[in-house]
Amino acid sequence: MKSFHQPHFDSVDVLARRFAAVDYIASRGIATAVYLGFNLEKPILVEGPAGVGKTELAKAMAQILDVPLIRMQCYEGLDESKALYEWKYGKQMLYTQLLKDKLGEMMAGAIGLAASMERLHAHDDLFFSAHFLEPRPLYQALHQERGCVLLVDEVDKSDPEFEAFLLEVLSDFQVSVPELGTIKAKVKPIVFLTSNNTREMSDALKRRCLHLHIPFPEPALERRILERRVPGLSAALNRELVAFIQAVRQLDLKKQPSISETIDWAKTLLLLNAEHLSLDLVRETLNVFLKFEGDIDSADEQLPALLNQARKDAEIHHASHA
Amino acid sequence: MQATLEDFFKALRGSDLDVSLNAQVDAARAVQLVGWSDRTLLKSALGATLAKTISDRALCDDVFERFFHFESFDFEKALAPQPPAEPASGAGPSEATAPPGDEPAKSQGAAGSGGSGGCRGGGGQALSQLLLSGDSAALAKRMQEAAREIGLTDIWFFTQKGYYTLKIQQAMGLESLEREIADARRQTLAPEHARRLELARKRLYAEVRNYVERKLALYGTAPTRQLHDDFLLSQRLSNIEARDFARMHVIVYKMAKRLAERHSRRKKRRVRGQLDFRRTLRKNAAYDGVMFETFWRAKVVDRPRVVAICDVSGSVRQYARFLLLFLHSLGEQVSDLRSFAFTNHLVDVSETFESLPVEQAVDKVMQAVGGSGTDYGQVLLDIHEQLLDDIGRRTTVLILGDARNNRGEARAEIMQLLYQRARRVIWLNPEPVAFWGLGDSEMKHYAPYCHIARECNSIMHLERTLDALLRAHSASA
Repeated sequence: MKSFHQPHFDSVDVLARRFAAVDYIASRGIATAVYLGFNLEKPILVEGPAGVGKTELAKAMAQILDVPLIRMQCYEGLDESKALYEWKYGKQMLYTQLLKDKLGEMMAGAIGLAASMERLHAHDDLFFSAHFLEPRPLYQALHQERGCVLLVDEVDKSDPEFEAFLLEVLSDFQVSVPELGTIKAKVKPIVFLTSNNTREMSDALKRRCLHLHIPFPEPALERRILERRVPGLSAALNRELVAFIQAVRQLDLKKQPSISETIDWAKTLLLLNAEHLSLDLVRETLNVFLKFEGDIDSADEQLPALLNQARKDAEIHHASHA
Repeated sequence: MQATLEDFFKALRGSDLDVSLNAQVDAARAVQLVGWSDRTLLKSALGATLAKTISDRALCDDVFERFFHFESFDFEKALAPQPPAEPASGAGPSEATAPPGDEPAKSQGAAGSGGSGGCRGGGGQALSQLLLSGDSAALAKRMQEAAREIGLTDIWFFTQKGYYTLKIQQAMGLESLEREIADARRQTLAPEHARRLELARKRLYAEVRNYVERKLALYGTAPTRQLHDDFLLSQRLSNIEARDFARMHVIVYKMAKRLAERHSRRKKRRVRGQLDFRRTLRKNAAYDGVMFETFWRAKVVDRPRVVAICDVSGSVRQYARFLLLFLHSLGEQVSDLRSFAFTNHLVDVSETFESLPVEQAVDKVMQAVGGSGTDYGQVLLDIHEQLLDDIGRRTTVLILGDARNNRGEARAEIMQLLYQRARRVIWLNPEPVAFWGLGDSEMKHYAPYCHIARECNSIMHLERTLDALLRAHSASA
């Protein structure tokens, strides 16, 4: 089993710069965790609210390493046959039917049941070979020649049984297929697991992973992300927008806007050719970053205050930088 | 380096964070990768490898701050600074407040190069000189080396404070300081010198004592708490004091979770059962008997149904709190639990338990239902009317109470009905078995109609009984 030697990263900062080069602005904490996960060859369990870039992180990593990203979406009821491999049962059946004559020919001359069986055994595992195997994400990930980034998305949605099954994959990067034996990874994949915390993961799983929690970003980080992701955005609007979103996150909302919503909103405002946030503009576009009726209503009520505060914060920031 | 890391792990354990060996190895490798020079980097590297949840991470960061907070002596006010010492004492604080980022590396380097000679040799300077010159950085370093030498990290109980304080001072060279003070006293020429030295010794004592206290807080919290927890576990529930309730919540919650985890796993063995051969053959007749489509017999997952009925009357007041607490915790784990409380009539409290956090729920039930004058007869009648239809052969009935009926009618015949209908009837009685049937206790009448009737008056009892109950439950399923 090989591991990634090329490209290797000299330090956390180098990795952070590589992330930035593929338009993923990683905070120091994120870069450190990924750096360690990469060098210690450990999976990384990424937690955090929806939309803070957990999945993006894996995508960016795949892009940096220039290897395929193999994604396995977890859900309740996901089992081995959907995650690892499945025998192409229909194909096996079809082949036996098609090959009926061939089988007859093969059997010709064999006297008695025992002799026929003997003939068959000479071709024993024909129907349980790689040709009849339907590879699923985990199997594919282990078989990549150049390695890959394996993303096990929303692992908290899977059943505890499946989680236990993952343990072998995560610690040794190998799986056991009864008919084929143990399959080892050709190149150890970089594994990311994401979780939205709908249930607590087992200790065994946590022990095998590095833990990374991605919170909502700090204002400065969020501004940098916007600069990257929404290139045409003016600096002034960027400041106001981020300050506003940060203020909205202080409200008691059902679903707080996260980075993906900020980006969506910035793109919207760009389309509308906005230069500054105004009351009407914000009111009309609230639904871009707030996804619940109740949230929109409660934000709407406090809109003037929020906007004032956002402007003040943006100015303070501007002044401190000027 | 390694020693420092190990001390850090110890400190983490001292704060109730369990660090597995695996994580320790990772942390050590991570530190090798990132080095000691960058404090924030070191912090996030240790956090990423050692902490496994968000709360653990916060705890880890907190311990990091406390652990890598470098001790500095605060001397400049204490010792009237003599003119030549002025620059030194001026340098002291500035050293102490220097960016702490460099300090781990610095002190580590010093400890390494200082060699095994240890503290007394240190910089070759006598303790008294260090104290008088107010060289706080050197003093702090020497104190840490002394602490390392005597193994301060083993401290875990507050009564050890005095011992460790003295040991550290001795390792720092207290003896020679004492001698010097004695000499200075004898020389009448230098009363001023003696006075200053004494003052310095006092300050030293205070500083070391402070240091030991901080370290006790770092290393000693969890073991002490563990000791206390063990005590609470085996203590009779009626003897537990109000101030320990919060701690009990945590213990009970953990226990309920453990029980539910242990026993819920076994339930869901296999969802996909065996091949349903008949159905498969019938369906595939169309394909000339070739089995293109398969059908599997699904296994029915047997969820435990528990009906818990809890006495909250005056006679069991001290127990009721914990029993309710336990019911609440169990309700978070077991999918199908209905809880009732009673004094003289049955009240459904499932709703309260589901909607309110534990403290409020328990208080509310105690207020609403609690009182004196238990009437088991009436309660059993209520059960007969309201509940009996819902109790089937898959239900476990859990009754918590002392069966003291105030000389009312026992109505054991309803217990018999329950016994016949339910899968299991379990009675947990806080009174010792010897008291059953004495006075107004009807336990002797009820006990024959229970699958299990047990004494239960400490958390340990509770856990054992329920563990046995759940095991029997899943084995017979």
